[in-house]
Amino acid sequence: MSVVGKEEGEEQQVVNPWEVSAGKGGIDYDKLVDQFGCQRLDDALVARVARLTARPPHRFLRRGLFFAHRDLNEILDLYERGERFYLYTGRGPSSEALHLGHLIPFMFTKYLQDAFKVPLVIQLTDDEKFLWKNLTVEESKRLARENAKDIIACGFDVERTFIFSDFNYVGGAFYENMVKVARCVTYNKVVGIFGFSPEDHIGKISFPPVQAVPSFPSSFPHLFSGNDQLRCLIPCAIDQDPYFRMTRDVAPRIGYQKPSLIESRFFPALQGENTKMSASDPNSAIYVTDSVKEIKTKVNKYAFSGGQDSIELHRKLGANLDVDVPIKYLNFFLEDDNELEHIKKEYKEGRMLTGEVKQRLVAVLSELVARHQRARAQVTEEMVDAFMAVRPLPNMFG
Amino acid sequence: MAATESVGTEVSFVRKEDGEAAAEEQQVVNPWEVSAGKGGIDYDKLVDQFGCQRLDDALVARVARLTARPPHRFLRRGIFFAHRDLSEILDLYERGERFYLYTGRGPSSEALHLGHLIPFMFTKYLQDAFKVPLVIQLTDDEKFLWKNLTVEETKRLARENAKDIIACGFDVERTFIFSDFNYVGGAFYENMVKVARCVTYNKVVGIFGFTPEDHIGKIGFPPVQAVPSFPSSFPHLFSGNDQLRCLIPCAIDQDPYFRMTRDVAPRIGYQKPSLIESRFFPALQGENTKMSASDPNSAIYVTDSAKEIKTKVNKYAFSGGQDSIELHRKLGANLDVDVPIKYLNFFLEDDNELEHIKKEYKEGRMLTGEVKQQLVAVLSELVARHQRARAQVTEEMVDAFMAVRPLPNMFG
Repeated sequence: MSVVGKEEGEEQQVVNPWEVSAGKGGIDYDKLVDQFGCQRLDDALVARVARLTARPPHRFLRRGLFFAHRDLNEILDLYERGERFYLYTGRGPSSEALHLGHLIPFMFTKYLQDAFKVPLVIQLTDDEKFLWKNLTVEESKRLARENAKDIIACGFDVERTFIFSDFNYVGGAFYENMVKVARCVTYNKVVGIFGFSPEDHIGKISFPPVQAVPSFPSSFPHLFSGNDQLRCLIPCAIDQDPYFRMTRDVAPRIGYQKPSLIESRFFPALQGENTKMSASDPNSAIYVTDSVKEIKTKVNKYAFSGGQDSIELHRKLGANLDVDVPIKYLNFFLEDDNELEHIKKEYKEGRMLTGEVKQRLVAVLSELVARHQRARAQVTEEMVDAFMAVRPLPNMFG
Repeated sequence: MAATESVGTEVSFVRKEDGEAAAEEQQVVNPWEVSAGKGGIDYDKLVDQFGCQRLDDALVARVARLTARPPHRFLRRGIFFAHRDLSEILDLYERGERFYLYTGRGPSSEALHLGHLIPFMFTKYLQDAFKVPLVIQLTDDEKFLWKNLTVEETKRLARENAKDIIACGFDVERTFIFSDFNYVGGAFYENMVKVARCVTYNKVVGIFGFTPEDHIGKIGFPPVQAVPSFPSSFPHLFSGNDQLRCLIPCAIDQDPYFRMTRDVAPRIGYQKPSLIESRFFPALQGENTKMSASDPNSAIYVTDSAKEIKTKVNKYAFSGGQDSIELHRKLGANLDVDVPIKYLNFFLEDDNELEHIKKEYKEGRMLTGEVKQQLVAVLSELVARHQRARAQVTEEMVDAFMAVRPLPNMFG
């Protein structure tokens, strides 16, 4: 499926790893799933996950935040048969400042690791950031290590988790797989998938295999030696889908299994769905380093409200939940389904005011961020070394 | 010194399909294709097109003087005939500074022919003469990308070729041989990415002639061959010596890689490598024919027996002699097309003897058969010596040359 550019009259949405922009009304997820060719994650599948893992499904599944997939049922089938798989997710370490949106895939992946008791590889694409941003190699490597600490703070199991940065890890079997994939993808193909152009440098053009090959267990001989057909499940935001469409297309041609995917919606910027989160605007997002005071100020002052302009109007008309950012954030971060439903109903019908909803959100976010900061403070350089060491994980399926 | 790399009169890759040269065939010289117009490769035009320099007698004399030994016959005979910034290397060497050598091979087959040995024979001479370290790159990844081979096959070919290379007599205390599939990673990979960020798709199309239907493996490959020019690619060898200069002996078809490298180097804070470049080795059946692995009679292989050498030279080596003895004694031989003479130019060490043969043959007093007989003797000895050396190369020796280890005596 080609990258969709802007067309006259009707604005097309653009979704690829380096650009997410919506037409009017925000991202049309139905259109996206249709365009990309992935599947919707329905209630039956969510129920099946709960049944197989003997625990309630994560709220991101219950709330439809992870909403699309490719071949998730194959993973569930094999799991049900007693077979194993491994998880693969990642981050492009472009800045030290992680915001809440960055944590989503990691929170969900931790749940998957605990629920299915499977190993996990986490790729830090410092080479990608070097290629796309004006950073030095040293800076991108340093950012990778710093981001690793926030990732570790999400609570992954060191006995089952391998974190690696490309600049450190590329080589050997991983590099062999990169070259195998590269031989199967033409320049025309990556232009179609990613929108590259002839003035792009060859670093960009040849990067996609780097993000593809962690899908193949042979890329990690220290972990999966002799287990070449081990299946892989990739939790990620849906803008990463192009990489794995390409990977799934190549895999059978080089004798490997296609990875499965489980994909999330985008996390809205504080100032509204049609705005962008940007490192240059600290008020566009809640950062994991924000203080309680900063969270309160940001939510109160900048979180886009779907409430009415006056209390009278609001009690009469109620709130527009489609555009209300605090409600969307609660959707992501308030665990209790009943409480969330209650707030939504009261707010929509005008009985609860914007200020009260925001107050609840501030409480939820403050607790989440404080918990993260405590966990982050406990991550030592030695722990980072432990997660990043190239070592076998003898208990990874235990 | 020019701020930007001199790229001569024509930067673009010249493709035959580009129509306009209908009447006059353009020569094509790049790492994957060498084809001449009528009359063989025009080296003057090539040097002009590429923008490198001719290696003149003064420079050859300077090399001899600085190394306190006679220059290699490849220099005396003008076989290594072009360069980029060789004078800078000689300047720094004269000042007591050091440099290192970098050469390589794309291990596409087990069968090496004599032409493949040329750069290695010359590089050994340079290593001995200047007493400098050497890195040798085996581009098994490149062969995987360009040929229909498996990764395992290319890695195996790399190791087999390493044995023939080692048989050329390199000093294990000063030589690091590596294959890309084994070595890429760490600082080497960082440099690959740095170079890749500096070269656009348009640029590699211009230099190498890639097309949109080429796979991204090809398009992303050139930095792999560029970065051995930078000492920081070898932290186990040159740590702390980031400005160490590099000299690359190679055949002139490799020039595009290093034009690109020299263009990028200053932009990433590195020194430009210098080059010393050779002419092409002629196929047995004539300058306008190709050496091909599928035609065993197109070349002399390092695995050929004395009998095979004799048969091949006598039956297939293209002769510049006349069709009959009478005509030959009258007109003499055409040395411009005579392959045995060209081969003797490469492999007969004694300048006087070579001159004598050329004169006698040109003036019709020596016959084709006699020239060929001389050639058979020279080649048989060379090949036999190589085979003896090759037979002594053990797997352990290969491991030793390929081990990632410091070379403490590399400048000693």
